[in-house]
Amino acid sequence: MIALDGISKSYPRGTESVAVLRDLSLVLEPGRFTAIMGPSGSGKSTLLNLLGFLDSPDAGRYLFQGDDLSRADDDTLSAVRNRKIGFVFQQFHLLPRLSARTNVMLPLLYAEEEIADGEARADRALAVVGLGHRAAHTPEELSGGEQQRVAIARALILDPALILADEPTGNLDAANADEVLQLLRGIADQGRTVVMVTHDPAVAARADRVVVLDAGRIVSDSSPPVSPAGR
Amino acid sequence: MTPPWGRHAALSVRLLAAHRLRTLLSVSGLVIGVATVMVMVAVGQGAERRLLAQVRALGTDLVVVRPAPAPRVAGRAGPARTLTTLRPADVEAIREESALARAAAGEVHRSLVVRWEGRNTTTAVTGTTAGGLQLRNLAVARGRLFDDDEDRQRRRVAVLGPGVVRALFGSADPVGLELRVGAIPFEVIGVLRPRGVDPGGADLDHVVMIPLETAMRRVVNVPWLDALVVQARGAAHLDALEREVLEILARRHPARAGAPSPFLVQNQAVILRTERGTARAMRGLVAGVSVLSLLVGGIGIVALTLLSVRERAREIGLRRAVGARRTDIQFQFLLESTLLGALGGALGVVTGVAVAGLAAWIGPWDLALSAPATAAGLGGALLLGLVVGLIPAARAARLDPAASLRAR
Repeated sequence: MIALDGISKSYPRGTESVAVLRDLSLVLEPGRFTAIMGPSGSGKSTLLNLLGFLDSPDAGRYLFQGDDLSRADDDTLSAVRNRKIGFVFQQFHLLPRLSARTNVMLPLLYAEEEIADGEARADRALAVVGLGHRAAHTPEELSGGEQQRVAIARALILDPALILADEPTGNLDAANADEVLQLLRGIADQGRTVVMVTHDPAVAARADRVVVLDAGRIVSDSSPPVSPAGR
Repeated sequence: MTPPWGRHAALSVRLLAAHRLRTLLSVSGLVIGVATVMVMVAVGQGAERRLLAQVRALGTDLVVVRPAPAPRVAGRAGPARTLTTLRPADVEAIREESALARAAAGEVHRSLVVRWEGRNTTTAVTGTTAGGLQLRNLAVARGRLFDDDEDRQRRRVAVLGPGVVRALFGSADPVGLELRVGAIPFEVIGVLRPRGVDPGGADLDHVVMIPLETAMRRVVNVPWLDALVVQARGAAHLDALEREVLEILARRHPARAGAPSPFLVQNQAVILRTERGTARAMRGLVAGVSVLSLLVGGIGIVALTLLSVRERAREIGLRRAVGARRTDIQFQFLLESTLLGALGGALGVVTGVAVAGLAAWIGPWDLALSAPATAAGLGGALLLGLVVGLIPAARAARLDPAASLRAR
């Protein structure tokens, strides 16, 4: 189980500090596909960064599979990102000029133990997203939809518990967006927690649950878990 | 945990290869730097070699013994007496008894008028053996030197310095002609190669060399020598040789107790200093230019690597997102700049060898490519890559991953 409990985060802007998240609590369950919505500046990107340990909260607790990791050090958090979390970005963030296979294998570089069957794993992950035949192609040779599927294969290669997707369909046409959403849906159905930030209600509608933020607080939650954690 | 070298290096090499232009731009300064070092060292060593050969031609391994001038007593010059202490037998003794001497020769020196047809000039006439000519590194530009037989037979043959030839014969070839040394006719058998002046300014070309026996029996008519020239087995033994020669002579010519030694010994300290100074100056120049060139190359890597840290912010963010620790990012950038250093060094060596080869082919330059310089260039480039990678690596490691991922 993944739970945020009383999380606050503010950023300095000029001389004052601006609160981005205020006392936010949220429980995410395995096997559910959650969409986070909200206007610009509502804190949804910050929330996603905190969930992915790319940033740390000023106050509150972050329980990840039972461990409070809100004060963990860089090495621990890097290992958690590596093994437990898969990221999907609006900009795909593939390394240019390297093959899809090499891109998918990037997380293996930072795995604590040597993974001998890296190439086979990468090819399996590419097959899952329907790109088994494109493993040797570079991002420049792939369409936007294909690039995003390569990125999803990269997120899946170390079999993470949590997938974080930041506007994953923002740069895609409707057909490709649909394909990516189906993949995320399927990933959730395998028992992983999937969290997606989007500003598009039609995209959010594809999720099991829609959480709406405004000014750093949750203002609506379509289907909160039966037994919320904390307070 | 230490990062797995192999996997990191493999990906870094792929990245560098995938971004060929960026890679080549990064190392171009270093390539030029290392190539400059290679060529500078080659030119420098070539020039040093040639300079040293010229300096050595003056003789850097010789000890020269002369009879000491008569001591002055109470400020008044002693009776004008001829110095008669050195004999040909002393030369034999040194040849046989000295362990450090490679060769020894006696010499007589006179300043004499030499004449040809209507012209004359006063010049330094040296009587020496065939071996003595070798000790002095004398070689002919035309004709030949005299040999031991001609010396033993007291033949009247002379080898002229080019200065004397100019004064007496102008541009005519004197070999085979007859000139007079004092009043005695000599056949010119050779002309020496020009040697210029010695460090003291004496003209080494305004000389006439004749066989020692001829000089002693036919020209100066004395049984003693003016100088004894001893060659050391190596320039390093000069001081020891000097002591040894003095001991042998002291045994043969016992001085009264308390009296000063009847011999003056000089070695080629001045010339040696010149030689060492020349070599030092040359090496200093080469080292200075080398360090500068490598630094310029290093600055190129720093500049482009720093730029690439900004350009690659999203890549850094992504790597952090998929599990890279700060130390992994630091390691990656250090590895890449070290690889760049190695690549720049290797390309620089290739370029340097090509340029030096081309220069040696088209020009009159004396180029000496050296393995130590090549190794130093390669090693220096590698080390430089590592060192200059420290700054960009630290900067890359400090980047905030969330902010980097948003970078454009």
